[in-house]
Amino acid sequence: MGSYSFQAENVQICVIMVGLPARGKSLIAQKIVRYLTWLSIRAKCFNVGNYRRLETAHPTAEFFDVNNSEGERLRKMAAESAIRDMFRWFDNEQGVVGILDATNTTKSRRNWILELCRKRNVEPMFVESWCDDEDLIMQNIMDVKTTSPDYVGQDPERAALDFRNRIHNYEKVYETISERDLTYVKLINVGSQVIINRIQSYLESRIVYYLMNLHIKPRCIWLSRHGESAFNLTGKIGGDSDLSARGREYARQLPQLVKMSVGDRPLTVWTSTLKRTQQTAKYLPYRQLTWKALDELDAGQCDGLTYEEIENRYPDDFAARDENKYEYRYPGGESYRDVVVRLEPIIMELERQENIMIVTHQAVLRCIYAYFMNVSQDQSPWMEVPLHTLIKLEPKAYGTEVIRIKADIPAVSTYREKGQSAKIRK
Amino acid sequence: MISLSSDSSPSTSPSPTVSISSEDHDRPPSPMANALSSFASSLSPPGLSTFHADLATSPITGGFASQMHLSPSAFTPPMRTQSVGSKYLRRQSSSVDEDAVHDALSPTHVSPAQLYSTESGRLFHAGKICIVLVGLPARGKTHLAVSLTRYLRWLGVKTHAFHLGDYRRVHIAPGTDVPDDYFLVNASPSTVILRQRVMAACKADVYRFFEEDRGQVAIYDAVNPTSAGRRVLVKEFSQRGIQTLFIESICDKPEIIESNVRSVKISSPDYIGWDEKEAIKHYLRRISDKIPHYETLDEPEFSYIKLYNAGERILLNNSRVGYLPNRIVFYLMNLHIKSGCVYFARAGKSTEQMPRYKSDPHLSDEGRTYARILNDTLLEHRRSEHTARRTHGDNSPERELIIWTSTRRRTVETSAEFEKRGFLSRQRPQLSQMHPGSCDGLSGKGLEKQFPEEVELHKKDPYRHRFPRAESYHDLAVRLEPVILEMERIPNDILIIAHVSVLRVLYGYLMACSPFDIPELDFERNEIVEIIPSAYNNKVKRIKIYGVEENETL
Repeated sequence: MGSYSFQAENVQICVIMVGLPARGKSLIAQKIVRYLTWLSIRAKCFNVGNYRRLETAHPTAEFFDVNNSEGERLRKMAAESAIRDMFRWFDNEQGVVGILDATNTTKSRRNWILELCRKRNVEPMFVESWCDDEDLIMQNIMDVKTTSPDYVGQDPERAALDFRNRIHNYEKVYETISERDLTYVKLINVGSQVIINRIQSYLESRIVYYLMNLHIKPRCIWLSRHGESAFNLTGKIGGDSDLSARGREYARQLPQLVKMSVGDRPLTVWTSTLKRTQQTAKYLPYRQLTWKALDELDAGQCDGLTYEEIENRYPDDFAARDENKYEYRYPGGESYRDVVVRLEPIIMELERQENIMIVTHQAVLRCIYAYFMNVSQDQSPWMEVPLHTLIKLEPKAYGTEVIRIKADIPAVSTYREKGQSAKIRK
Repeated sequence: MISLSSDSSPSTSPSPTVSISSEDHDRPPSPMANALSSFASSLSPPGLSTFHADLATSPITGGFASQMHLSPSAFTPPMRTQSVGSKYLRRQSSSVDEDAVHDALSPTHVSPAQLYSTESGRLFHAGKICIVLVGLPARGKTHLAVSLTRYLRWLGVKTHAFHLGDYRRVHIAPGTDVPDDYFLVNASPSTVILRQRVMAACKADVYRFFEEDRGQVAIYDAVNPTSAGRRVLVKEFSQRGIQTLFIESICDKPEIIESNVRSVKISSPDYIGWDEKEAIKHYLRRISDKIPHYETLDEPEFSYIKLYNAGERILLNNSRVGYLPNRIVFYLMNLHIKSGCVYFARAGKSTEQMPRYKSDPHLSDEGRTYARILNDTLLEHRRSEHTARRTHGDNSPERELIIWTSTRRRTVETSAEFEKRGFLSRQRPQLSQMHPGSCDGLSGKGLEKQFPEEVELHKKDPYRHRFPRAESYHDLAVRLEPVILEMERIPNDILIIAHVSVLRVLYGYLMACSPFDIPELDFERNEIVEIIPSAYNNKVKRIKIYGVEENETL
């Protein structure tokens, strides 16, 4: 799927989250922003709770009672501020997709937002997260809300109780979306049922498509490069070489490293079709799948050369690559952007799955990491991802936790800094 | 590296494989085609000699013949028994002006927008999937099957649609019609046996598609009205390692149903030669006969998609079965019963003799004249088409025309005449021509002189090869996906004014062209190419623009 910017199209979409607290709305909102940004579409989340916190930092459940007129007034004010900021962002910063993250549980509140959007020629799209799975809700409450800024410093048990009461107050006035002429997506019990109504544009369908693949079950993703390869030792890029002796050592140690991190959880391992990743994963006692999409960035004419040789033979190319590494495409090969495009099914599949370990290559790993960690395009191609290191990503509600586990096996560094002339180190 | 290595395991299919390549364009219809055409003509009601003649001389078109399976020996006279137990037919010829969506794919086929190929031929680790359509007649199921096939194939997923109606037609003795109680639930035993035989033949082909042709997605197009019947299907498929995904098409707007009947009636082989009003009445009676025994999808353990009113509303149940079902829903969100046609036209000539990408030149005087003539020709064509429709009793209003151009000056300026007359024109950066990279301003001899090796490589694979810093047709295909999906969703008529490289890719999608054909497609400057969508296949019409010279690709 193409990942070209939609800006010149003048499409502006406001995604309006709907749902009771602890239904994963903020998680979904953050993920949409991350996904669209990865595809070079300008997106931003406007969390009404954050605006409300500026005025009222530690409210109790009563604040959210619909009969509490002062609470109502302050909450409406917060919503107005958030929306105002969002429209300002659309106008001044060429925003394309703005996400209004709030409960928006009543028809009247939704109508109000709808009118505002229509006046500004912004396409409104509602995303409702509906959940009655008690376990999921409890988990969400425990996980997120007790670490929420609203409850900082409070006893988690009391915080959870208060939060439950807050939810009750919302439940009293909750009206699920049923207006047939609205554009909306309803995610029921995290995607076990999905209702899609009146999608108006390609971009909206793209967002819905992404949402359909999401789940909020806790899981981890492990990323690793292949072990040190013969080409790594000589500084050559590309190719389909075997592992070096040290690389083979990494492959032998990997099962233990993984076991310590994964424990008894089920895991599936994904590798590329190139030998070095398969050799690295061969001792892992888990189900393995190969994906061509995980193959390394194709260096085209430069495949099999060292950076030094490239600098000598194609000095203009070498410099151009430094200028804009994300867009630069090797003659006869690929760019980082091309890799992102072909990683789309991998990313979608990753979202749908639970525990996955990926054994892949430097550029591909950078792109996947950039997706989870929201790394920008000018930074991601320059990230350091050393060999013989296992990276554990644990996506959580408000961000992703990263842990790097280094295997105690030395390896060459394939890292080259911007502007640095090519030389093998170590 | 986007690998082009074709599926390496040897083909296990016993019957001869005819690969569809560009050399087949000029071959005369084979003996097999002639045998088919006489078989086909024997099925239609008497009094249609003109139709017979067309079918005998032109390549087999439409959904009718493509699913028939005759035995490989081509000269046996057309008999009902022949259709049982043989390989489904591969079309012999494939002119690029014929919609190739019903053609069978060769085992080594690589699709236009395919991102990579695998040894098994099955992409995305998605396994084998059978999409079972559910829905009363005239709910757009066949259109859905055909469109989905087109899109999935474009992506490189080996897909084939199996229309139960085609198998039914083949099993009826030549010259006779279906038994009266064929569509009734409490039919006579002999009718029941006939029905079962028809279904068995269809299923046999489905299994062959999966097992011998390494197919990935089969679309089973039939009514499938009962829950019991569906459960049997799921069980049978799952025993063979095939996942089942149901897609139900539901219509609660009578206008949609009637409009479907009208257009289906025109394209369906069942009603060749019938009076229009009689046909609609007959068709609606068939539908009402089924209604008391129709059970909508409700089984919570099944994975299903319910499509309301052609995509206005979509309900998914338990669809977390994989990447492909979700991608299918993505496509469905963008698909509508498309009634608008697409016109392709080139931009006018620019002020540069050899227009360079970097300079983005304006239209020359000649170019501006062209723009005016283009405008006149197209509007006149639309007027006469509209009048023709009126005289045939079709009082549907003329669909609004919108113009899409790229952001490049030549295309925008060409659309200026239309804008002057009040038409809406949209500029889309995705419609920009293929980036020429280091070959900007070069062509022919100049190109060969500067990049001799690249020219050689390009000849070997014109679709995927990239000149230095340039884009390939494949890149264009991936880049144009949003445009393609928007074309599916817009009900208007669209005029696309763009560079010939872009027109080729878009045409290639609509007419299911192979990557071999796409770089060679012809778009003369003195022609407007019109593509008319219909339920079974898309049709091409070339409208001549008088007063404009033919031109090379500049």
